[in-house]
Amino acid sequence: MLGIVEQLRDKMQRTEVYKSIFRHSYQDTQRNRALQILDNVFLHLHPVRISRHATNIGFTWGMGGITFLLFIILTVTGVILMFYYRPAAEYAYDDMKYLMNDVAFGPLMRNMHRWAAHAMVITVMLHMFRVFLTGSYKAPRQFNWVIGVFLLTLTLFLSFTGYLLPWDQLAIWAVTVGTNMARATPFLGSEGPFGPELGMRIDNDVRFVLLGGTQVGPPTLLRFYVLHCIFLPLIAAVLMTVHFWRIRKDGGISGPDVSTKKF
Amino acid sequence: MSRKNFLNVAGWFAFFSFLATAVVGAIRLMVPRVLYEAPSAFKAGYPEDYIVGKVNENYKDEYRVWIVREIDGFYALAAICTHLGCTPRWLSLEKMFKCPCHGSGYHKDGVNFEGPTPRPLERLKITLADDGQLLVDRNIKFLYEKQEWSKPDAYLNYG
Amino acid sequence: MEHLLKIMTKPDNIPIVLMLGLTIFYTWFAARKGLKNDRQEVSEEAKQADKVQVWPYLVKVEFLGALLVMAILTFWSFGIDAPLEQSANPTLTPNPSKAPWYFLGLQEMLVYFDPWIAGVLVPSLIVFGLCAIPYIDINPKGNGYYTFKERKFAILTFEFGFLLLWVSLIVLGTFFRGPGWNIFMPWEYWDTHRVVALVNVDFSQFFFGVPTRLVDDTLNPMAMLIGSFIVLGWYSLGVAYYIWKRGTPVIRKLGSLRYSIVAFLFLTMMALPIKVILRIALNIKYILVTPWFNI
Repeated sequence: MLGIVEQLRDKMQRTEVYKSIFRHSYQDTQRNRALQILDNVFLHLHPVRISRHATNIGFTWGMGGITFLLFIILTVTGVILMFYYRPAAEYAYDDMKYLMNDVAFGPLMRNMHRWAAHAMVITVMLHMFRVFLTGSYKAPRQFNWVIGVFLLTLTLFLSFTGYLLPWDQLAIWAVTVGTNMARATPFLGSEGPFGPELGMRIDNDVRFVLLGGTQVGPPTLLRFYVLHCIFLPLIAAVLMTVHFWRIRKDGGISGPDVSTKKF
Repeated sequence: MSRKNFLNVAGWFAFFSFLATAVVGAIRLMVPRVLYEAPSAFKAGYPEDYIVGKVNENYKDEYRVWIVREIDGFYALAAICTHLGCTPRWLSLEKMFKCPCHGSGYHKDGVNFEGPTPRPLERLKITLADDGQLLVDRNIKFLYEKQEWSKPDAYLNYG
Repeated sequence: MEHLLKIMTKPDNIPIVLMLGLTIFYTWFAARKGLKNDRQEVSEEAKQADKVQVWPYLVKVEFLGALLVMAILTFWSFGIDAPLEQSANPTLTPNPSKAPWYFLGLQEMLVYFDPWIAGVLVPSLIVFGLCAIPYIDINPKGNGYYTFKERKFAILTFEFGFLLLWVSLIVLGTFFRGPGWNIFMPWEYWDTHRVVALVNVDFSQFFFGVPTRLVDDTLNPMAMLIGSFIVLGWYSLGVAYYIWKRGTPVIRKLGSLRYSIVAFLFLTMMALPIKVILRIALNIKYILVTPWFNI
């Protein structure tokens, strides 16, 4: 029986289709280990070889990687939720009820999306904490830290815009409290310092542009939906690309060789 | 300036003006021209129906406005906390407006006395309509700190 | 205590408990690693600087980590439902109304400062300050390994900002702020009718008996003078320190521009808890009142 399986496997591995996909055998050799990384666009995010302390979970805490994983989970569950959700004030709350009560695995997808979002905020903060404590923002990696700060704010904005979408009491009031601060923007807000002097009113200031109205209402829901599902994730994806590419260029995770530095 | 230099400067100038125009246009696009919100002015019933000394909450849900009847007249308060825009609650026993978000408190006349709010509640224009009903216009505001509460439409004298 | 348990196990608050645990653990863990490195000639990281193949050594760790995270997340999502309250009602403000938990530190600041400071200036300064860190920290040591000895100021300042301001204000906002945004101890019942007298008094009035407003309700120039003096005096501490220490190698290497940014950010950060204490202990509302803005 086993013989047949092995025979089939060998036969399959000799076909042109298989070879065209994998392009090297799976035998455990130094060369294949390198090819495994080099021949794979996803794994090629990593260099072929890396310092041993980068594989030490006690050093990196794995927080950056977990954050990226959570982003992927959020993308997948978010896309699934979009099948059942309409970003209009008349429908949004009912769609949530429908999703929670009558959709198979609907609650699971929503829960995963919610908890992964909360977890991502935590892991992104801890990642930043760790990078600070190991001084990994120092030359030559200064600018990658700056990109990281932008990614942190994007994570918060993503989470915040997503908060409104269930259109329940929790959502509308958390967002009301949050966006009312924009009223107080100096120069650009109707209640900020020098705002009224510059002709800022409740219906033309920066908060009005953000909400699409004078209060959190149906236009806000649509705006936050577009920001949450398309605009912010796209920017985050672009910044993540730069973030990862620069890590790679600086020698892979946990950075330039420590041994070359004086201690 | 040489011709080549001029063309260089002009070209970049055109490029950046195009970019700036596009950005301004994109921002303008996000500012709606028409709002589908409740009308700013509304009629609030006949003055006789109000009880002297009481804060009327009938128009709070739809318009976020309290109408207060005093012995000699009316004033309308916007039910929007001047701290961060939550809706305060009228505590009839304690005789004050209290905001649940950050604890700002206001007296019945709208003047703040506690919590983080920087200024009193806003009063709104209140007049008598032709048919004898009260008419409140939420677009016209009177601010205490600008000494506007003494203006004619901020308080409706009614004996 | 039962009440505290109830708040702590509210679905949306579980992440905060999680964060608190992880933050405390990692602070201790990193301190231990740093102190261990400080005692040694060669850091633990430098000892492990030899190269290994990414496949399988790193990919294996990543794969197992991903499996673990996804397993935890799946169980978490099966076990606890994301909250869904009543349908949105713009006229009914729940009591208390809280921002999402990661913004509770900023919401807490709103109690102590006017919205443009707490909601706009402070977050902008946080983002700006974080971005500036690599450029104002010119200490070349401690790059890529845990240490405490070699960068005491940097680590203590960051931990102060992250743990004592950001994290603990989130905890305060979540677990101690109840109806009316009053402070409730964990064992106290959240009484919606509780009224706490928070009668405000301004700094000049409290310490010098100079009222902020005159009898005709215009601003008192004397109070403004005192307020400006206090605010400028606070920031001039940075100037004084510069003049005092300008000969030292650290300050000379930092340069005046970088030094002013460091001093401004540091003094601003330290001013936050001072205002918090003034507000909670003495009910002081403003230090400086001007026609345009109040601090």
